[in-house]
Amino acid sequence: MNNALLDKFRNICLKLGKNNKPTYVVMAIAAVKGICRPTFTMMDKKEEPKTKKYTAIREGLTEIIAIPVYWGLGEGSAKLANKFLPDELKAKGAKNCMLIGVCAAALFVIPGLCSLAIKPLMEKFYHNKKGALAQKFDEISTVSSGKSKTLNTQLYSPVKRPSLQTFVNSNQHGMRVGGV
Amino acid sequence: MMNGITRILTSNSLNNITSNTNSQVIMETTLKAIGRPGFILIDNDIDDNTKKYAAAKEFLYQATCLLVYIALVVPVFKKGTFKIAQKLFKPEEIGKFSNSKQYAHYLKLCDTTLNNRQKTLGKEIKGVYKTDKNGNKVHKLVEDDYDPLIVKELNKENPDKFPILKGAVEFGNIVGSVFGLAIFAPQVSHLFIHPALNALGFEKHKNAPKVDETQQKLDKNV
Repeated sequence: MNNALLDKFRNICLKLGKNNKPTYVVMAIAAVKGICRPTFTMMDKKEEPKTKKYTAIREGLTEIIAIPVYWGLGEGSAKLANKFLPDELKAKGAKNCMLIGVCAAALFVIPGLCSLAIKPLMEKFYHNKKGALAQKFDEISTVSSGKSKTLNTQLYSPVKRPSLQTFVNSNQHGMRVGGV
Repeated sequence: MMNGITRILTSNSLNNITSNTNSQVIMETTLKAIGRPGFILIDNDIDDNTKKYAAAKEFLYQATCLLVYIALVVPVFKKGTFKIAQKLFKPEEIGKFSNSKQYAHYLKLCDTTLNNRQKTLGKEIKGVYKTDKNGNKVHKLVEDDYDPLIVKELNKENPDKFPILKGAVEFGNIVGSVFGLAIFAPQVSHLFIHPALNALGFEKHKNAPKVDETQQKLDKNV
């Protein structure tokens, strides 16, 4: 291995060996998961496109939310421990508190935040489609109330119902027995 | 009350979990397997079937990840990086250990007091024998497993923990965790999740023919 590269690797190992924070691994996993999990979900051919999209967005957003939460809660709890613990126990206690912070984030803070944040985001994401649908209904109701003469046939295919004119007698339809 | 909390926060067992990447990941994934499906289930804005389906899928995904991680990633990457570190670094930097288990045991011994450490080193290993200078069969001691230089280190008040070796092992664990949980486990879970969801009956409603709501509304308006 190249010497410069080996020195870098040695430094990384030395840092990790002296202080391996619980936040490192969870943040690394969340970052790679945020890219890979939605990609794999979208590649799944067995699921419906709608469900696939919903799941992929949910998965991606979960990991995007997870990264800062892991970092914030981990570092925050370590700082809190440093404030309250006696000096001789600070180093040990701060690291343990960091793990507790990360666990709290994994168990309820991240899922809770996701439930709160994903709903409005999903609504925003599907808002345009909803708007388009409402517009469609508006155009159709205008046509049926007779306010507009033009009808965009691309919007829908009208149901062909039998007209009353079909059953009305008229002299325009040729000779009728005993007719006028 | 405060003393109790301090004792828990600074306990050795919690510290052992904190200093080991694998235990951290196992703990975190287990909590995720409980927390995430739970929060999906209490979400009132999603319809019941989708909620159950998403929660079951999330639980199965996390459970598969955990199993794959414990069964494959932990042993492969731990042993692999230990061997790579032995090849890359000098013995003075990383000590002379025969395997990663021995190094883990060494680290545990380092955390004890010198007196307790010396007692442990002098203990006999049950069922394991060696031949002494006179050719007699005698019980092997714990210290016989270690290299003489390592035994010398363990007899010091503050032994060297060989942080480069520890860091290399942790680096391997982090890389293994990322690879295992973010790339490998999703592939395995995709193979396993659909049959499992089918067996649990969650995929039935999905395959049922759906009436298009938009079409229904359009028909009503027309």
